[in-house]
Amino acid sequence: MNKKKKIVIDPITRIEGHLRAEVEVDEDGVVKEAYVSGQLFRGIETILKNRDPRDAGLMAGRICGVCTNSHFRGAITCVEDAYSIEVPKNAEIIRDLVSMALFIQDHVVHFYHLHSLDFVDVTSALAADAKLTSKEAHKYSDRPFRNSHAHYKQVIAKLQNFVKAGKLGPFSNGYWGHSDYKLTPEQNLVLISHYLEALKFQTNISKAIAIFGGKTPHPQTLVVGGVTSVADMLNPARLNDYLFIIKEAKEFVDRAYLPDMKLIATAYRDEIKAGLGRANGNFMCVGGYEFEGERKLFCSGIVYNHDLENIHEFDESKISEEVDRAWYKEDGEIEYTDLNEDGSLKTAKNDDKYSWIKAPRYDGKTMETGPLARVLISYKKENKLINSFVDEFLKDTELELMDLSCTIGRNAARAIESGYICEYILKLVSRLIQNIKYYDTDTWTKYDFEKLPKQTKGRSFLEVPRGVLCHFVNIKEAKIDNYSVIAPTTWNATPKNFDGLRGAYEEALIGIKIADTSKPLEVLKVLHSFDPCLACAVHIIDTNGNELSSYKIKTL
Amino acid sequence: MRVVIVGGGIAATYLANNIKKQNSALEVTIVSDEKYPPYDRIHLCRLVDDKKDIGSIALPLDPTVKLELNQKIIKIDKENKRVFSDNSMYSYDKLIIATGSRPISLFDVETIKNAAVFRSADDCEIIKSEMKDRDVVIVGGGPIGLELLETINQIDDVSNIILILRAKHLYDKNLSSDSIKLIQECYTKNGKIKISYEDEIVDKVIKNNEIIFLKTKKLDIQNPFLVFGTGIEPNIEHFRDTLRCNKGILTNLYMQTDDENIYAVGECAEIEELNFVAGHVKDCTQEANCAISHLLQSDMQEFKREVSIDMLKVGEFDLVDVRSPKFSANFEKVVIASKKDNRIDEYFLEDTKLVRFIGINSNVDIGYIENLINDEDEVDINYLYQNRLVGERGRLICSCEHVYHKDLVDIVTETGIGSFSELANYSQAGRVCGRCKSMVEDVIKESQHLIDPNMPKKSAQDIKLEQEIEKVQKRIDKFNTLHPRNNLSADNLESAMESLNIAKKEVNSWVSMVTANMKLHPNFEDLVEKGVKTLNKVPIIWLELADCSGNSEAFIKSTNPAIEDLIFDYISLDYHELLMSASGDQSETVLEDIITNQKGEYVLIVEGAVPLAMDGKYLRIGPKGETGIELLRKCAKDAALVLAVGSCAFDGGVVAAAPNPTGAVGVAEALGRDDIINISGCPTNPTNIVGTLLSYIMFEELPALDKYNRPLWAYEGRIHDNCERRGHYELGEFVKEWGDEGAKKGYCLFEMGCKGPYAHVNCPTMKFNSSTSWPVQAGHGCMGCTELGFFDKFANERKYVEEQNNE
Repeated sequence: MNKKKKIVIDPITRIEGHLRAEVEVDEDGVVKEAYVSGQLFRGIETILKNRDPRDAGLMAGRICGVCTNSHFRGAITCVEDAYSIEVPKNAEIIRDLVSMALFIQDHVVHFYHLHSLDFVDVTSALAADAKLTSKEAHKYSDRPFRNSHAHYKQVIAKLQNFVKAGKLGPFSNGYWGHSDYKLTPEQNLVLISHYLEALKFQTNISKAIAIFGGKTPHPQTLVVGGVTSVADMLNPARLNDYLFIIKEAKEFVDRAYLPDMKLIATAYRDEIKAGLGRANGNFMCVGGYEFEGERKLFCSGIVYNHDLENIHEFDESKISEEVDRAWYKEDGEIEYTDLNEDGSLKTAKNDDKYSWIKAPRYDGKTMETGPLARVLISYKKENKLINSFVDEFLKDTELELMDLSCTIGRNAARAIESGYICEYILKLVSRLIQNIKYYDTDTWTKYDFEKLPKQTKGRSFLEVPRGVLCHFVNIKEAKIDNYSVIAPTTWNATPKNFDGLRGAYEEALIGIKIADTSKPLEVLKVLHSFDPCLACAVHIIDTNGNELSSYKIKTL
Repeated sequence: MRVVIVGGGIAATYLANNIKKQNSALEVTIVSDEKYPPYDRIHLCRLVDDKKDIGSIALPLDPTVKLELNQKIIKIDKENKRVFSDNSMYSYDKLIIATGSRPISLFDVETIKNAAVFRSADDCEIIKSEMKDRDVVIVGGGPIGLELLETINQIDDVSNIILILRAKHLYDKNLSSDSIKLIQECYTKNGKIKISYEDEIVDKVIKNNEIIFLKTKKLDIQNPFLVFGTGIEPNIEHFRDTLRCNKGILTNLYMQTDDENIYAVGECAEIEELNFVAGHVKDCTQEANCAISHLLQSDMQEFKREVSIDMLKVGEFDLVDVRSPKFSANFEKVVIASKKDNRIDEYFLEDTKLVRFIGINSNVDIGYIENLINDEDEVDINYLYQNRLVGERGRLICSCEHVYHKDLVDIVTETGIGSFSELANYSQAGRVCGRCKSMVEDVIKESQHLIDPNMPKKSAQDIKLEQEIEKVQKRIDKFNTLHPRNNLSADNLESAMESLNIAKKEVNSWVSMVTANMKLHPNFEDLVEKGVKTLNKVPIIWLELADCSGNSEAFIKSTNPAIEDLIFDYISLDYHELLMSASGDQSETVLEDIITNQKGEYVLIVEGAVPLAMDGKYLRIGPKGETGIELLRKCAKDAALVLAVGSCAFDGGVVAAAPNPTGAVGVAEALGRDDIINISGCPTNPTNIVGTLLSYIMFEELPALDKYNRPLWAYEGRIHDNCERRGHYELGEFVKEWGDEGAKKGYCLFEMGCKGPYAHVNCPTMKFNSSTSWPVQAGHGCMGCTELGFFDKFANERKYVEEQNNE
């Protein structure tokens, strides 16, 4: 008798967008099969058709308000690629300054506000002792962030007030007391304290994005050929503001974010060693962000099956898109086959369609992309900037590189990345200052739109906070004829295909043991570790399907 | 120490407030089986005649007192010091039972449609809705029956009222026949009321849970509505097993029961030594004081019976009844009557000592009478006769505080106060049992003309402002009672702030900012402050439909107040998928709970467009796979207010841009409603969301809106008119291409396709991300993201006019 039980989780909260997960567990609560599904279709690519290519940025930016800027930049770069427009160095740096601040903002919000409650039991923190908490924090940092007894007492009092008033707000109805929570009351209190501090942090760092982006979400300073915020670039006060915000951010990253990750890595050591949440070990990174001359911040490469000793070159001609089990036909038309009567996904037959997310493959394989892939590949390619950060983390937590390929490792990779990005930004700013000093104040490459080719193609590959972002454009008669996006979440949350291969989300869920099937905290934890972004993920297949390979590579 | 008080009336509230007053560190919980926060039963009649609503008769309760409603305590576990309701358990260190009394009816009226007792707000609802077009039969002629009789007499829909009395007198058997006649005449004058003495119900016919026929000794009544205004008995059925009881729960003089950790106070308690069950507010508060003194072991006082004062003001007559605890049937009576004034004073004497006084339309000095009874001095009948004239302080208005008419007039003329709330600074009259509140209000109103005209006068504008402020104050009070969990009172902000952990400084800076942003007179600052503190009692559901989460992201980046204060202290963001810890079924439960249990109280904020094509199946949410439109309809149905934030919720935004592949529309269109407030923008400025919420709480009506239902205070100004680059426009200084000299100098961006001249919103003044920048400052120009259909019209870097010419 097959006693499999199906658990449906929808809505999956603390992510961008509408994600559903269905897992089948056996009698012991061990996940045997998993289906993740995007539940919203908007059709931004269809909307982009027949528009002026120069408008693609403002429209495509709206693909996502969380990965705000990523799609904006992806689309603008893609159109520039189609017209072979090289943007001035300053414009590239300004774009990087916005992107990098977004990386940090995104990682911190993701960990504390979208993910940490999978590790942190808010109600347990009430029982913490302020003095012991302060001691606990010292184990992971020499100078822990806001570590006074008085501060912790204040946090407890604040929490108690929520509880007393019966107003838990966003904390209400969590899985409090779940057996999967492993932290002591004091450890919980450290994290909660930082949860609240991080709310401040993210409003603050958003100012850095706004200085050169005009605002966030949805910055508005990128145009085909460069950037518009030249007056801000030339204003020393603005540069100083930017630098100062980043320095403050670095304090938080060094003294709260990284130590917290070490704390969690220590407390959840067994889980890490068991490889909980590990996917199939196929990693992809397209690299990017100029560092010194030819050296890049991230190194590109492909890893199969955790074989980190053999890193292959990234080859864009190996990318393909399939829709066997997504709600599209081969030609890109929509073919919605609905849900079952009870609202569950149709997954009984191996050709049942169940998601709005299409199925991208690299070399016919499902790939994991994101901070973990970046850190692993860059480390193995001996990236000097990154490696010292990785080494320190592994040393302090007594882990090996391979251990990072798991739920908590993905988070660790994000924290490590935030650490070295803070350093990198300082280098970017000094390069910008050098340029300005030598009277290079160009921020836009001039072109005459009327004289640009009427028919052309472009694509861009960008590392963004959640992983590899690919934009493709076909231009005919100076209008967008076809547009296609493969976002990081499209890669990671891909549905199955006729090949039966599970994507990273689905694969990572297999083998997870769920203690209480009515409270599937374990499932949420795995999914959240990928930082899902569903608005980004759902895109129509490129109607030219296999022709993707005809684009030429232009690494950033 | 945890003190649990069982009961939801005056006694419970008085106990809780006074325990807190004496020791604010104690944890005090009120557990009540009513669904409303404690209210004043004395004013129940005002609910029947619709002159008041449940909110306006609510009793002020210290906000740090925890309130558990809908919990009927059915069991006490003395050993482990716990009490149980059907579904909850509360641990206590000290338990106080203050469950009051319940009405006695001849038979169970619960299942009968047209019969009721008169004890709770729910009873009033039944009376109000069922009595219309029926003959109303009131049983009982005591104080309760008479007050009810008077109330129903005032209601136009009722044409026949029959008062059934078992005895042959009204009010009290010791009342003289002249007095009874006088009262009776007042009632029967207009012919609506019929009084049937020495009568009682002997038979009834019930069909379909409805009494269709009623037979009394003397009358046959068809289609009646029956109300029992008879007696009451202690409400202690669930405590009989565990505590020693007689008529009520037996206590000592400190109101302590046979269990040292349990006290009983009020109408449910019986003081064994005195064989006494309280019947007046004053008895109850005195008992409460004794219990508190013993419980806190400070300044202990034993209960001592005192003179009681009852006042009954019904229509044309006022009745005052002052009674000594020693009053018995062995009295002699002196009646001083004046036909002319319809006035009767009845003095009850025992051994030449005054033991009781009943006055009808009397104006004797009640305070003096009270002293006379208390002191047990011999009385001189002649003096009583002289005393018939009005005392120099006028009529007694508030018997709890011994405040007379003249005292109030003096306060008004000396201080120039104009309202009941202002009186609080000078006197507690009308605030103890609340019975005389309306009389106090009348005195204040009537004596306004006595205020010295040389006091600084108010201008018409001041008066208008005052009226507006009063209106807002009412709104805030209403919201304060909406959320019973922390019932903040406007008089008690310090305590309120403590309970919400709000630092004064933060509030101040934000209040000033919001007041200024909403373009309100600085006099409103106070109210904005109170409104801010009320915000957190309005549950908020934030739905994300076909969106990009951009508005949520913007919202969590709000400053002034900082987001951490906003979501934890100020507003009650109960359902927000991006932030909430609960997922799947757990989050669904949160949502269901709000929309079923807080109907008409929650605010719905919607982000994202509503796809309608393919039956709305382009978006499915929740375990049952509801479509976006289904979920939206469900949540919007009982929302007090729906806000559509961002461009997609406004008109479909980017999702509805040509060719609109998913048939997306904005929220207002999807629901077919014209009362949705739109806060457009891509994304919208979070300050405008918070400001709109606040403006809704402060002014009952929606804020002034433009033709697209956007709040005028945020969307009235045109970007171009308030633009920082406007000077360059006037001088003809334009950016001609990106990054040119003009761009470096901050020239006007009109030539680069800035849509500022076509967009209306407060971006130039508010900016984004803590006022760091906005698209014009950042050199790009505006793309009109607040305007209808802007993606197809404005979202590009070309001049709008040119575009039109091309078409």
